[in-house]
Amino acid sequence: MEELVSAFDAQVDNALFWLADHASFVFDFCRLVLEGLYAGVLGLLMLPPFYVIAALAGLLAWRVLGLVPGVVTAAALALCAAMMLWPETMSTLALVIAATVIALATGLPLGVLAGLLPRLEKLLTPALDLVQTLPPYIYLLPSIALLGYGPATALIATVIVAMPPAIRLTALGIRQTPREFIELGHATGVTPLQMFLKIRLPFAVPSIMAGVNQSLMMAFGMVVIAGIVGSGGLGETIYGAIRTLDIATSINASIAIVVLTMVLDRVTQAAARTK
Amino acid sequence: MESTEALIDCQSVWKVFGDRSDEAIRAIAERDLTKQDILRQYNCVVGVSNASLQVRRGEIFCIMGLSGSGKSTLIRLLNRLIEPSLGRIMVKGRDIAALDAAELRQMRARHIGMVFQSVALLPQRTVLENAAFGLEVQGVPRDQRNRAAEAALAKVGLSDWKARFPAELSGGMQQRVGLARALTSDPEIILMDEPFSALDPLIRRQLQDEFRQLTKDLGKSAVFITHDLDEAIRIGDRIAIMKDGIIIQTGTAEEIVVNPADQYVADFVAGISRLHLIRAHSVMQPLVRWQGVTDGLPRCSPDADIDALIGLITSSGSDAVAVEEGGRLLGIVTIRDLLLGVRGETEARAA
Repeated sequence: MEELVSAFDAQVDNALFWLADHASFVFDFCRLVLEGLYAGVLGLLMLPPFYVIAALAGLLAWRVLGLVPGVVTAAALALCAAMMLWPETMSTLALVIAATVIALATGLPLGVLAGLLPRLEKLLTPALDLVQTLPPYIYLLPSIALLGYGPATALIATVIVAMPPAIRLTALGIRQTPREFIELGHATGVTPLQMFLKIRLPFAVPSIMAGVNQSLMMAFGMVVIAGIVGSGGLGETIYGAIRTLDIATSINASIAIVVLTMVLDRVTQAAARTK
Repeated sequence: MESTEALIDCQSVWKVFGDRSDEAIRAIAERDLTKQDILRQYNCVVGVSNASLQVRRGEIFCIMGLSGSGKSTLIRLLNRLIEPSLGRIMVKGRDIAALDAAELRQMRARHIGMVFQSVALLPQRTVLENAAFGLEVQGVPRDQRNRAAEAALAKVGLSDWKARFPAELSGGMQQRVGLARALTSDPEIILMDEPFSALDPLIRRQLQDEFRQLTKDLGKSAVFITHDLDEAIRIGDRIAIMKDGIIIQTGTAEEIVVNPADQYVADFVAGISRLHLIRAHSVMQPLVRWQGVTDGLPRCSPDADIDALIGLITSSGSDAVAVEEGGRLLGIVTIRDLLLGVRGETEARAA
């Protein structure tokens, strides 16, 4: 039995090495694209001074949540800068945004297809179950083998973790169109495309927006864990603080993470409700 | 305006539900099988059994039946929301089973409007956008479809509500929007699937009258599903009574009340007031049976109902009314005939 297991493990390792050796150009290309996206978002976020970003975030929160949340948002982000963690906070935000964009760009269309095709959903469900039950940092290992140490690895692992809720909730939203409205569509003589755009999709929007919010939150959790593989940002700050037992820094970084998470969560949730 | 041209012609239509429906259909085509036989031998449920009906241009045709009688299945066969298992359905002279997907969409979009019991107004859209939905689907430009939708909303008295959302409207108003939505595309045929069942009695009566008036004014034809015989009588020019997937009887309200096809129908119509249903021509007796003079009798037309006849007799003090049409005497209605008529009987059946 033991032999069997070690033989299996050896095969997995070999396969991974083989991929790293023979398909490196694919992964180098992936790495280039991922890091490019990350660098682009980060560049944008770091372009203006911190108070401009804080003020813009405050303005957005004021628009969708109200005056008090707006002021609190701006103040909380200013606090991150005051703790000397502004670049880390922004690089974490950039990672989250880049990962969520990729996760949604693949997850939403997949979710729509799964919602329309019950067979595809049957196929996807066990795969999603697997992805969501494995401990999230598992995804760091194969990614580090293929993409190396750095933000690209963090991004890939984060995308894997962030995608399932977007797929599941989109599929759910598309599938649960009330039957009488499907009948209304048919009786009115809609084309299949109109059925999707004018009837199924509007009913699915709240569920899809919940999926977007969930993906964002999952991405947040993973980006911090991905500090281990040199993602940069607050995750790496915390990881470094743990290694040197620097409690003060770890607490500061945690506060910054909480601020960022709360702001993104509340703003996207409110935006979903007003839609 | 009413003509004999059949807009909808259902010929021996069956709908069988179940995994072995194909076998069941083949068996039905070959030999005579009852609903029970099919359930026992093939484990299939018969929704509609050998139904034939014709809806004429300008007519409001009611299908009355209790829940499970197959009336909702039958109305969905008319616009092929449900595919028939057997039989032929002609709409405007075309066999709808032969239409391809695009032709069927055209047929539904332009010629057959539908109003649902659940109303099914899209909650994210305003009343106007809901009313314009049918034309939007057909690709009609926005201002043109909005104009048509506004006109339809005006017909149902909801012009002031066009910018509201469905959730802001009462049940009766929502159903008016549903009717406006069906009218906006200006179809010849409107299918009404128990549209007023969920409304309270007063609003329901009001909508029934409005619906009948509107349909007649616009010259539309309608198939109206209901489980309420009073509603069928109020609205329908003709009524088909369904039970267990079978159309038991088709006729005007008067024909059904005077000559129920079986005990089931007789029990159904037992509680219906005859005063406004039964007309002079059903209760009158031939002139030859009348012994007295006809000169002094009050006159009425064959279409005068019992209520009117009672009025004539009580106000004139006479014992009988002479029925005449175009100056020609057709028959006599005596007090005895009237009393029988009130009970829904005629001289022939009483004798």
